[in-house]
Amino acid sequence: MVTTFLRKFLNYFKESKKKYGVQWWILVIGIVIVFFVTLTALFPGVFAPYGPNYMESGDQFAPPSFQNIFGVDNLGRDVYSRVVYGSKTILGVAFVAALISSLIGIPLGLISGFVGGVFDRVLSLIMDSIFSFPGLILAIALAAMLGPGIVNITGAVAVIYIPQYYRQVRGQTLSIKEEVFIEAGRAIGASKLRLLRKYIFPNVLATVVVIFSLNIADAIMTEAALSYLGLGLPAGIPDWGRDIAMGKKYLASGYWWVITFPGLAIVSLTLGFTMVGESLSELLNPKLRDK
Amino acid sequence: MKRILKYFTIRLLLTIPMIFILLTLIFFVLRVMPADPVKSMLGAHAPERVIEQKRKELGLDKPILAQYVDYLKQLARFDLGKSMIMEQKVITPIKDKLPATLELIIFGLIIALVLGVFLGAYGANNRGTGKDTTIRLYGLIVFCIPAYWMGLMLQLIFGIWFDWLPIAGRTSSRVLVAEFNNTGFYLIDTLIAGNIPAFLDVLAHLVLPALTLALILSGIFVRLTRANMLDVLNNDYILAARARGISEKKVVYKHALKNTMVPILTMLGMQFALLIANAVLTESTFSWPGMANLLVKRIHLRDYPTVQAIIILIAVMVSLSSLIVDLVYAWIDPRVEY
Amino acid sequence: MKYVFRVLFILVLVLMFIAVGCKSKTKSKDMLVYGTTESVTDLDPAEAYDFHTWEILYNVYEGLMTYKPGTAELQKGLAESYSINDKGDKYTFKLKEGIKFTDGTLFTAESVKWSIDRVMRLESDPGWLVTDFVESVDVVDKYKVRFNLKQPCGFFLKLVATVPYYPVNPNVFPADKIVTNPSELKGGKLTGLGAYQMMSFKRDEEILLKANPNYYGKTNIDRIVINYFKDPTTMRLAFEKGELDLVYKQLNPNDIDDLLKKDEYNSYKIPSPFIRFLCFETSESVMKNKKARQAVAAMIDREEICKKVFINQAKPLYSMVPIGMFSHKDYFKTEIGNANIEFANKRLKELGYSKNNPLEFELWYTPSHYGDTEVNMAEVLKNQIEKSELIKVVPKSAEWSTYLDNFDRKNMAAFLLGWYPDYIDPDNYTAAFAGTTGSAGQGIYFSDPQYDKLFMEEKTSVDQEKRKEIFEKIQKLWTEDVPTAPIFQGSLFVFTKENITGVKIGTAMTFYYKELKYK
Repeated sequence: MVTTFLRKFLNYFKESKKKYGVQWWILVIGIVIVFFVTLTALFPGVFAPYGPNYMESGDQFAPPSFQNIFGVDNLGRDVYSRVVYGSKTILGVAFVAALISSLIGIPLGLISGFVGGVFDRVLSLIMDSIFSFPGLILAIALAAMLGPGIVNITGAVAVIYIPQYYRQVRGQTLSIKEEVFIEAGRAIGASKLRLLRKYIFPNVLATVVVIFSLNIADAIMTEAALSYLGLGLPAGIPDWGRDIAMGKKYLASGYWWVITFPGLAIVSLTLGFTMVGESLSELLNPKLRDK
Repeated sequence: MKRILKYFTIRLLLTIPMIFILLTLIFFVLRVMPADPVKSMLGAHAPERVIEQKRKELGLDKPILAQYVDYLKQLARFDLGKSMIMEQKVITPIKDKLPATLELIIFGLIIALVLGVFLGAYGANNRGTGKDTTIRLYGLIVFCIPAYWMGLMLQLIFGIWFDWLPIAGRTSSRVLVAEFNNTGFYLIDTLIAGNIPAFLDVLAHLVLPALTLALILSGIFVRLTRANMLDVLNNDYILAARARGISEKKVVYKHALKNTMVPILTMLGMQFALLIANAVLTESTFSWPGMANLLVKRIHLRDYPTVQAIIILIAVMVSLSSLIVDLVYAWIDPRVEY
Repeated sequence: MKYVFRVLFILVLVLMFIAVGCKSKTKSKDMLVYGTTESVTDLDPAEAYDFHTWEILYNVYEGLMTYKPGTAELQKGLAESYSINDKGDKYTFKLKEGIKFTDGTLFTAESVKWSIDRVMRLESDPGWLVTDFVESVDVVDKYKVRFNLKQPCGFFLKLVATVPYYPVNPNVFPADKIVTNPSELKGGKLTGLGAYQMMSFKRDEEILLKANPNYYGKTNIDRIVINYFKDPTTMRLAFEKGELDLVYKQLNPNDIDDLLKKDEYNSYKIPSPFIRFLCFETSESVMKNKKARQAVAAMIDREEICKKVFINQAKPLYSMVPIGMFSHKDYFKTEIGNANIEFANKRLKELGYSKNNPLEFELWYTPSHYGDTEVNMAEVLKNQIEKSELIKVVPKSAEWSTYLDNFDRKNMAAFLLGWYPDYIDPDNYTAAFAGTTGSAGQGIYFSDPQYDKLFMEEKTSVDQEKRKEIFEKIQKLWTEDVPTAPIFQGSLFVFTKENITGVKIGTAMTFYYKELKYK
């Protein structure tokens, strides 16, 4: 029973691969990475042998060994454990930030695209201004003003992505608005809200999922960058960006593992979400699919 | 010509409200928290009276809207104001450090473009092969690498393990900047002064930071070039060129590439914002005395006027770059109309 | 098209290779390159209040009194002699004659009076070092100047040796404005009566100093170049590559550790009186009960901090008066102890705290003002304090400007602070934190008339034995009230190339470049 199921699954796999090519593999790998890191974020205790702030896990600056597979940092903490617990921090911030962004950006985009007029023009101008400006710099200004703290950082990261959702949703709303079935809906007397809810929103949903995934990827990079610059979370909360900032001074002494592994973690996680987002976008949009 | 002018004026007019919105946003964001820059500027020991006086002098005792209006009036006179934490005009450190950032960005951009375009074209040309897949993966992965980590790894490998290149600053300690400092663009200054060892020193210091920026941005160019090339390579005139017997290399790298460059160059304008964002991280990692580093430092010190000025400057640069690129595009492509 | 790209690419590669092979070095025995990560604030003796700018001003200007290089012993500088009246509130200095400023202006008592009046007028940050003590300055005759003090002061000579008292050229310095950059001065250069003149200044990059031909004393090395680094690791590498001859402040503990192990460099450990300690908001916060403060102070494991965070380059400190200064006593060790869990828990239980109802407070630190070791300090302290199980610590951070603001708003229950002395006397380490006015200014808000009385006594007494007794009493009281809990005393390290000598920095922390010389 199990073997037939496996064989069917593998066949489906092979067929899909042939059908979709490299893109399929990218999606799969992306999903695997995301899944794995989400697990470590939700259950860090299972994956980490030591607590993130436990300072007796090994000798100060011990290189990677069986006891500490990623080595030990300057305070005697296990780098691997800090990476595992750090995933919880960074994923938490990125996810919540993306959620907030979407919850604000999507409705704004829908309304703006649907209602039009001066409201739309003014809001578009504001959103475009924010969008074209380097997001990291805005986040830095916000984070610096609000001060360190998990709520502040999440807020700072959330704000800069609102325009993305807004623009995408607004654009789609505008084009769908002109579609025939909307005319039909209006003809049968559907209210504006109903039109929005039943006809426009579902069509927009697909693209939103893609943006959400890419949003999380970007939010991860931004949060880590803010922490690196010293604007992130205070001490006591394990954070990949801050660990890199604190660890870089040891490069000259030859203790390379303190920053290499958190960095690889950032790259992997961002890559995971990017892979998911990008391949979803290509798969869902057949016109752009690369054969 | 008239068409271009019309396009230009409309775009320019659109730029102004955008800059205006950003500066308003930043103005109010900076004043969100009532942390007082005056105290940290004058020190904990300063008598209360002096602090009050200073606050009045800086206009900080007025309500926010009044301060905002004052600031707008000041900007209208093209006066960026005085720094809040040091007794100097805001423009002084900016003038000092802007060339450093520009030198880094331009150098990085050139390398990114060259690298990205070549890899993209190569990948498109060998579509479907292992080489192509590797290049596609490269394009995907490289953008997910934090600029500061990339910089640190480059420092570690080339600066510490191999000791081939310097890892920070614009010059070595023994190269006296005072001897050639002129425009601020050290590459040019050293050549003007005829100081070849200094020129090479400055160049060596540019390599790693520019490479950091370049590698990260090259990803975008790789994917863009590749996508565009794939389109172009399917065109009829390429088929015709091949039929005429032109060598494959010439077909790809001369004819096809030329036609993909235009959309790539237009993308350049949009990458400027990205370039600046990554420049902040790169400058921080390489202790580069540029404007981005200044921004971060002054934000920490709550030097509002300087921070506002730098943000405006960045907004202007970003708008200008996309404006110029759009203009070039409009000029080349007669179909573009506003 | 393709060819252009190709050529460009190869050209760039070639240039890079040449650059790699070519490392610019200009070596000569009349120049010394000094690397540091500090930065200069305002180049004005009336305004500068940070360690590094004072160091530069020690070398470009000179005081009526100076320190004997390498010691904390005062000696006469621009003053040839001095006399104090019996009451101890009038100090008269006879100046050295015939000394000129760079532009030819003669240095007289007028210059001294003008400079002090300027400090009093400008009301700047370090101005209190003058205005709190000096009532007025009189010109007695061309080379004699008298300071009339507000009350007798036992350590006034030490004050005269501080930078705000240094005479500046009345013809060059603006009377009512603070000077930030030398370009604002007449002549565009910063020159005074000290051993060096500043020939060029590029903020945060480089300063070029040249020996002052008008200096009354002797200088060994003609040119000093100060190179500013933003990053200690880069500085360390530059030093090891030979680009720097001397590095001082602030190398990372691991870099210091590595350099100490290498024989090819000279190293100097400076018994510096800079201290770091934990402060408490004693009037309204959760730390207002002294038993709570005693408990937290007892949980600190200074040995572990010195070992883990500073790789043994710092020393555990058991008093606010630094080790090596007169009247120092290890009262925190004897009265409270180090990592003393029973002591702490006993006090906490007396206050009604338990495992289910722990003492919860925010531990604040500032992540860049004192270097980022503060982050590690906060992390280690949190672990140490929570070993008691009756306490919960929440670390919080704020940049320095917000930190200062928080003093006013009384919203930091416990915060880490550091202190570099203004002048070398126990008064500077104690009155500033436990005297009513000083304490409020530092966010501690401790006020006790007994302390104020003791401070007043020691400030006005000229009898050093009596002052010692008073300070010992103050230190003992400190362990009962614990407005602050001392943690460690730092060391500073100077590394130089093997062929350089003359690094004489004593506890007074005055670094005179004129003493440096090549073997």
